Amino acid sequence: MHNLSAKELEVAELIVNSLNLEDIRAEEIAPDAPLFRDGLGLDSIDALELSLGIKQKYGIQLRAEDENVNQIFTSLSTLTKHIQKNS
Amino acid sequence: MSDDWVSQKERGTPFALRLILWIAQHLGRGFARLFLYPITLYFLLIAKPQRMASQQYLNRILGRPATLSDVARHIHCFASTILDRVFLLADRSSEFEIKRHNPEEVYNLIDQGQGCLLLGAHLGSFEVLRAPAINERKLPLKILMYPNHNEQISKIFMELNPEVAETVLPLGEMDTMLRVADAVADGKAVAMLGDRAIGSEKSVDCRFLGKVAKFPAGPMLLASVLKVPVILFVGLHMGGNRYELYFEKLADRVVVDRKQRDADLQKWVQRYADRLEHYARKAPNNWFNFYDFWDKDA
Repeated sequence: MHNLSAKELEVAELIVNSLNLEDIRAEEIAPDAPLFRDGLGLDSIDALELSLGIKQKYGIQLRAEDENVNQIFTSLSTLTKHIQKNS
Repeated sequence: MSDDWVSQKERGTPFALRLILWIAQHLGRGFARLFLYPITLYFLLIAKPQRMASQQYLNRILGRPATLSDVARHIHCFASTILDRVFLLADRSSEFEIKRHNPEEVYNLIDQGQGCLLLGAHLGSFEVLRAPAINERKLPLKILMYPNHNEQISKIFMELNPEVAETVLPLGEMDTMLRVADAVADGKAVAMLGDRAIGSEKSVDCRFLGKVAKFPAGPMLLASVLKVPVILFVGLHMGGNRYELYFEKLADRVVVDRKQRDADLQKWVQRYADRLEHYARKAPNNWFNFYDFWDKDA
């Protein structure tokens, strides 16, 4: 188990729900582990689905043109920070 | 392993490629085509795995044991479409007789500002769709592909037509599909090839030519997420300077039930595989997957 903040847990739940992840529960996602490839093993279509989930829940639009989109999607912790800053 | 084709060392040296290119550009298509015979012979002799894969495929589609000359014609067709890319990219489509079937399937959507996915295959020539579309500026098109595949040859083709090269959205980046979403939202058509299941990519089992093979689930999954129409396209080389470019709507919307996602996806991909088989039968030598397509362990 990891010490997730309330907001991190909320975003982790969004990840698990919007991607239909079956092998992992929200509280098991390490805040600093990579979301893509080696870490949680998400792929590019997952990134798209996740961005749609974020748009729906927080009204934040993530587009490929945003130069820091790769940085935002690095880990649960970076994603949560971005959401907190923009909502 | 079906991802062998990615790592497969490209045959032919840069010098040989440049030489053929020079001949094509300075002595014309008719003359360059004469070189396809020795090239075909060379591959027939030297490229054993590809020859076996060709034979295995031809056995299936012809319904009889393929002869060496069947395999030679198959390789010759492949070499022809690669050579023709030179002329298509150089905006010399007038060299060809390109018959388009149902292009309005795409144009009507684009005119309405509706983005869509164009799903093709390593069947025939995708360049016969792409190059004229870009050169004639009629179709706002992006194409999803792996970068660096066949590196030498891609470099040469990029030099020939940098504008066409710019239409490529590189696969394999985390934000690739976000780019696709942006392009589609802009009312563009995004083309991709949906027949090669590569490495760890998610795949589904579909029947193709009477036997189960792995097909990537990605394109249909993407279509379901983007909620856009999917149109199949194939550009078949019919010999000589003739191409037939087919468009066929596969789905207005790919609807996938989350509770049975894999089963639903399988049905959509199977529909694609069925239509692919239909077009492969029209022109069997256009199948350009020279590896064991039905390999269970792929």
